[in-house]
Amino acid sequence: MTAPSAQIAAPAEAAPAPAAGPDTRGLIFGLQRFSTEDGPGIRTTVFVKGCPMRCPWCQNPEGLAPGKQVLWARARCLGDGGCVNACPHGALAREGGATRVDPAVCQACGTCADFCPANALEVAGWERTAREVAANVLRDRGFYERSGGGVTFSGGEPLTQPDFVAAALDLLGAAGVHRALDTCGAAGPATLRALLGRVELVLFDLKHMDPDRHLEQTGIRLDKVLECAREVKRAGVPCWVRTPVIPGHTDDEANIRAIARFVKAELPRAARYDLLAFSKLCVSKYEQLGRQGAVVARLPLVPRSHMERLRAVALEEGLSTVVWSGMTAT
Amino acid sequence: MAQPAGAPIWQPASTLSERVQRLRDEYFSFETRAFRNEVRAYSTGTAWDQVYSPHHWTNVPEVAPFLWAFQDSLLAGAETVPLPPGFWDEPLPVRVARFFATVLQGPLPVDILDGELIVGGHFAVALSRCLTKRETKAWAKESRAIVQGVGALSGYGVGNCGAVPGHLIPDYPRVLREGFSGITAAIERRLASARGAEAATLQSFLVAAQATPAFAARYAARGAALAAEASGARAAELTEIARICRQVPWQPAETFAEALQSLWFAHLLVMVAESYPGPGVSFGRIDQYLWPYLERDLAAGRTTRAQAKELLQCFWVKPNYAYDYQGRLGRNQGINSSFGQLVTLGGCGPDGEDRGNDLTWLMLEVIEEMNLLEPKPNVRVHARTPAPLLQRVAELLAHAQGSPFLLNFDEASMAGMRWQGVPAAEVWDYAPVGCLENTRQGDDRSGTVDVNLNLAKAVELTLFQGRDLRTGAQLGPQTHDPQSFRTWDDLWQAFRAQLFWEIDALLAFEDRADTLRARLEPTPYLSTLVGGCVEQARDVTAAGARWNYITAQGVALATAVDSLVAVRKLVLEDGRVTMPDLLRALRQNFEGEELLRQILVNKAPKYGNDDPYADTVARAVSRTFTEEVWKRRSPTGRRYRGGYLSWNYGIAYAPLVAATPDGRRRGTFLSNGVAAVNGADREGPTASARSVHSLGLETAPNGDSHTISLAPALIRDAEHIDKLAAFLRAYAAEGGTALQVNLVDGATLRAAQERPEEFRNLLVRVTGYNAYFVHLGREMQDEIIARESHGV
Repeated sequence: MTAPSAQIAAPAEAAPAPAAGPDTRGLIFGLQRFSTEDGPGIRTTVFVKGCPMRCPWCQNPEGLAPGKQVLWARARCLGDGGCVNACPHGALAREGGATRVDPAVCQACGTCADFCPANALEVAGWERTAREVAANVLRDRGFYERSGGGVTFSGGEPLTQPDFVAAALDLLGAAGVHRALDTCGAAGPATLRALLGRVELVLFDLKHMDPDRHLEQTGIRLDKVLECAREVKRAGVPCWVRTPVIPGHTDDEANIRAIARFVKAELPRAARYDLLAFSKLCVSKYEQLGRQGAVVARLPLVPRSHMERLRAVALEEGLSTVVWSGMTAT
Repeated sequence: MAQPAGAPIWQPASTLSERVQRLRDEYFSFETRAFRNEVRAYSTGTAWDQVYSPHHWTNVPEVAPFLWAFQDSLLAGAETVPLPPGFWDEPLPVRVARFFATVLQGPLPVDILDGELIVGGHFAVALSRCLTKRETKAWAKESRAIVQGVGALSGYGVGNCGAVPGHLIPDYPRVLREGFSGITAAIERRLASARGAEAATLQSFLVAAQATPAFAARYAARGAALAAEASGARAAELTEIARICRQVPWQPAETFAEALQSLWFAHLLVMVAESYPGPGVSFGRIDQYLWPYLERDLAAGRTTRAQAKELLQCFWVKPNYAYDYQGRLGRNQGINSSFGQLVTLGGCGPDGEDRGNDLTWLMLEVIEEMNLLEPKPNVRVHARTPAPLLQRVAELLAHAQGSPFLLNFDEASMAGMRWQGVPAAEVWDYAPVGCLENTRQGDDRSGTVDVNLNLAKAVELTLFQGRDLRTGAQLGPQTHDPQSFRTWDDLWQAFRAQLFWEIDALLAFEDRADTLRARLEPTPYLSTLVGGCVEQARDVTAAGARWNYITAQGVALATAVDSLVAVRKLVLEDGRVTMPDLLRALRQNFEGEELLRQILVNKAPKYGNDDPYADTVARAVSRTFTEEVWKRRSPTGRRYRGGYLSWNYGIAYAPLVAATPDGRRRGTFLSNGVAAVNGADREGPTASARSVHSLGLETAPNGDSHTISLAPALIRDAEHIDKLAAFLRAYAAEGGTALQVNLVDGATLRAAQERPEEFRNLLVRVTGYNAYFVHLGREMQDEIIARESHGV
């Protein structure tokens, strides 16, 4: 497991948390419209910042740390170095053609990102109130209504900001929007329970069924995740189970078979099982975070035939709807 | 745009019958086939005769250098037609009609291709204008003045205009219903009470309408002669062709076969009469008016669905022969006019009910299996389009190999027609012409590509006090020095003044072109097929149609909007960029000003992202432009109306517009239609649709061109095709009037590698993850390209 270079923690001036409501503030790192991969219909996916897991293959590494972080994109950088002077904290330096962000000094105030003409410097993490997020999501309600779509809270891990997510879900529920929660199950059952009553669908990630390997790969105990899965079952909320198929990590037949068995036995309301082939698209994000030698850069793509095989395995175990998607090697 | 013959994207389905396959192959074998619909010019033989009108084509900057050459070479190759006695004693419209009739009776070749069931081969002609020497002198002088004047404006990138033929939907259903015999009877009734010039006009209509049976009879005779030489099934087919050609288009059609043959003759003759042949001559709601004939045949057991389909496929090949006009010439000389003979499928009825029928579905099959450039299919989508039909359309989009399949959206389109004054009870029966331009059917000439105004040029003029930056020429009024601008209103007033100057300048020439055509270029045959002409005893060129407009299309809307927004935000509000710095950078085309250019690109809002800051400016620009042109009328009485087709002028005018404050360098393409600047719409298709919707497009009744690009992964399976169908349904309420969906292929991705700035919005999606393509490393891009190229 690679520890994330959490460059900056939460803002220093920690005000007392307001009661959960429309003005509850949260930290998100993306709001993607016309999202077609995170549940039924046309959706808006809200990426909530912070995740307790540390999967080395993480597709959204900028969503791991709970606080804001400054990203630097080499492809866009003009290299004039004006940002170094612009930073009020002296956290930036140009070294060997690269711009370095010193995580110990950076306050993620965003001055450099505002300054950077090319948007090569960006802040991952925007503070928004639940009301602001809901208003943004509602702009596409005409598309949700006609496609059976809605909103999906993803991340990161939305359960890391339960009050904020709950407040946003309440506003969207009152507006009649279909709501989905995409979770890795790394939270206390009570936290999960509070949100399950506010969604129409759960996208539940199951990564590995071997307790040791699960702990080793994600940094979280498997039983904690399975407890959450059973909480989903108890709440009676429809769910889709999803497994990222990562070469050398989760892609063995035995693992997929074990997950399928668990789903069949414990999550009878799971309407669908998704096998998500590993894609390498996230490699540049690790670079933007200043993280060298990311595991993802060395991983191969999954052969198409193997995805077909894994799907067959899940079907053999009695799951009725199994879908695989993603980039594959031909 | 014509595709090279046999290009791999034009593959037909493997299910075509042997007959249809042969007809299709024959069309694509331009170099070797015997029949070619190459242009034939017919002259009166006078020393001053003309067969080509340059002022019809001044809207195509690319052909401007060739206009006189076309005129001369067509004339040089013209065949002299023996004139009927007393020809020169007749008034001009009657001369034109008599000349048309004479050409149909003899000189125009008659061709029946082996195996075809719908006949009517040669229609590419250039007919004499039939002018006297004195008329010719006036005509040529005015034509030359128009060509020169429009050429000058176009050369500065201001825009263009011309009295463009075609671009309308003739009243074909009436030909099927009443035949030309019925149309003739109506003309005669009106003629009884007419005097003077009106009588002459009606007389010309009569001559033109009465010329049709003799022409069809030549096909009947040819069919009978071929039948005598043929044997077996083909002999019977030819005998039937001969029978049908003796009946239609003079008599009403009774059967589906008769209706299709009548339709093709009526259409082919419009192409002859308009002598280009006419571009954008469209069929309208073909599944509506042909269905009763097929329905009757099926009910009576006269035909089967399979037979009807083969007949339709034979029909489908015919309009493609329009491209023979370009034939050998076109490939070398860059004529890139696309004919845009639209067929409209589906759509609502008067009570909002869906009007799709079995023929709609049959035609979708034909379109998919034939995979030809013409006739171009547009599907009307509305709130109550049945789910299976929408699903089918989404599938066709997903599997389209390159054939543009356009969608027109009823609610937004009808709002525009309503705004321009079409009664609420009639507004449902609109259809598009050319590409996507909305008109009424059968009684409307809206000149849909006649005027094209470059909105981005108005920004250049605003910032340089009416001067063209490249040449220093003072074009527009000398508005205030931009360095004195303090508020948005200062900027806006200067922009308005320059925009209105552009409107004045272009419409002055369009008025002249329209007037010249009305005075000296009657089209009697076409007039018999346009409602209003007989009643008013006025030729269609002289505003005889019931509905008469000239459309002014706005070009480069988004480039203009993003430029105004950047000045407003960065110069006038934030003060991050100073006006002197901006003007210097624009003068230098951003040479040595990359930091400033990046600020303009990245630090100001952009239209196309559902961002109210930019979209409010976009709406103001659009409403101001469209409401201003709506105040103007040509001397012929035709009113100007707005639209956003914009065609490909964003390419032609790219070098003629200086660097713009949105960070665009001179030469980079201007934006297209109502779409965002290439790469500027980064929030996806739903946001893009909402930005278009926010323009309030009812004031642009022509409608708009909006293109979105989707990665193939987004339509990879039934689930995702469903999502596309749902998107289209929602677009009817959330978007504009017309939409083209493009799939991003390997070639696009490669272009994105080379010119990343134009593709900043290009999302690559894989389950659970998405990324901007241009932000990925080269290696990853290559990998994705390899994948997309293989259709994964």
